[in-house]
Amino acid sequence: MRATRRKTGWQERYLGALGMIQILFFGPVAEQVGVRELTLDFYSGLRLQDVIEQLEQRYADVLSWVSFIAVNNEQVRDKNMLLNAGDEIAFMAKFSGG
Amino acid sequence: MKLLLWLNFQGANVLPAVRIQNEDFSVDAELLALRASSKRIGGIATFIGCARDFSEGRSVSEISFEAYGSMALAEMQKLRNEAVEKFGLLDARLVHRVTTVVAGDNIVFIAAGAEHRAAAFDACRWLIDELKQRVPIWKKEVTPSGDTWVTQHP
Repeated sequence: MRATRRKTGWQERYLGALGMIQILFFGPVAEQVGVRELTLDFYSGLRLQDVIEQLEQRYADVLSWVSFIAVNNEQVRDKNMLLNAGDEIAFMAKFSGG
Repeated sequence: MKLLLWLNFQGANVLPAVRIQNEDFSVDAELLALRASSKRIGGIATFIGCARDFSEGRSVSEISFEAYGSMALAEMQKLRNEAVEKFGLLDARLVHRVTTVVAGDNIVFIAAGAEHRAAAFDACRWLIDELKQRVPIWKKEVTPSGDTWVTQHP
């Protein structure tokens, strides 16, 4: 575990981010922020809360329409959730299908 | 004859029980497929959601839908599995259109097949209620005073 951490730190220092995560916006949220998707750098230890904070800096009030967050198609409530490279995170308003 | 063959072919073998699609659905084809799944079905309850020309005190000229497709389909499949387990269904089908519709157009189709009517009715009601709560699909109503995203569950 320690060896893995040292390797990750070296990669981050010399190679930059370890991958990307994809952010998706739909419906009212996409309209609010003006984009439908974007990518953010992934780094070891990245949590959902970190992503939320990055988005709030970039798009004020981004969360005002958001009622649900999903990671890889599964709804997530724990904002301390650790993310992985390649994760797909969707920020969604209250649903209105049917 | 060609139509009957097509319906039978589509209903019995091809159309998946859970779908998201742009095009309209055929209630006859869905019911054929449901009936083909089991000869023990004694009751089928269906729900068809369709577009209205009036909502929240305003005329609505069209409704456009948007979905998080992969998650919506996965959630609908979970709903079907849960309904089969919860109500002892023999089969269930869920189809939701994601496109732009006008008044009178079909939006969603749900069918629940059970041995007896009570389970079919209860499951059908449960499925549409849960779909509205859990499936990531959004509708935008186009009205004379502008477009509005709907965020309620009437």
